[in-house]
Amino acid sequence: MLLVIAVFAGFLAGLLRAWLSNQRYEIPQISHSWLVLIAFLPQWLAFYLPATRRSIPDQWAIAALIGSQVLLLIFVWRNSYQPRYRNRLGFWLLGLGLILNLTVILLNGGLMPISPENVSRLVPDAAPGSWQINSRLGTGKDIVLAVDQTRLWWLSDHFLLPLPGRDVAFSLGDIIIAAGAFFVLCVWIRTQSDLIPTDGN
Amino acid sequence: MEYKLHQLKLSLASLDSRHVRIALVLLSLTLFVMGAGAPEMGGDLGR
Repeated sequence: MLLVIAVFAGFLAGLLRAWLSNQRYEIPQISHSWLVLIAFLPQWLAFYLPATRRSIPDQWAIAALIGSQVLLLIFVWRNSYQPRYRNRLGFWLLGLGLILNLTVILLNGGLMPISPENVSRLVPDAAPGSWQINSRLGTGKDIVLAVDQTRLWWLSDHFLLPLPGRDVAFSLGDIIIAAGAFFVLCVWIRTQSDLIPTDGN
Repeated sequence: MEYKLHQLKLSLASLDSRHVRIALVLLSLTLFVMGAGAPEMGGDLGR
């Protein structure tokens, strides 16, 4: 949810910036959008759709997550060749955040690690026995791992943000992805200063 | 019914390619961040 908010915050900031500078808001040219749709589909089935996520085995969910993120990485790579430097930066940040998340996922069995302490703070009302260490957390993308058992723990979901009603956990990769999405949408205004010099200056 | 269809066609025609492109980019980035980043905690855990 945090990352979706970042997308719309970037869009609104871009609109505001364009309005304040009296220019028309321009949106980036994105190619291979179909890759995102195809990439998200298995995750939607494995993690989001209540009717299917309970019946999909953990191994399939892991395959869905990794395969999906590899496709998303290809999408970023195909879109990182933007004509303006400031817009390239947004896609580079999206790619960097995704690589960080994918790295810690791959090094920890195929799911995003989260510490038992964080789980206790996030879902204090969880039914007894509904989660345990070294197991997938519910039907989500996380696996509960002690910090000393987690490879590159600092890339895991170890940040907590208290929100009304429910805290959320997120990773360093998530922060960078949020910044990338915000940057892609916020700075996309047609100005001469955005153009990359082609004469080497 | 025919009038409503005509109104719908006019509404769609008023959406130029720029609006469609904005919607497509927003949808793509939203799906991207949902796939690349933080999940809903635990799916249906504790609910």
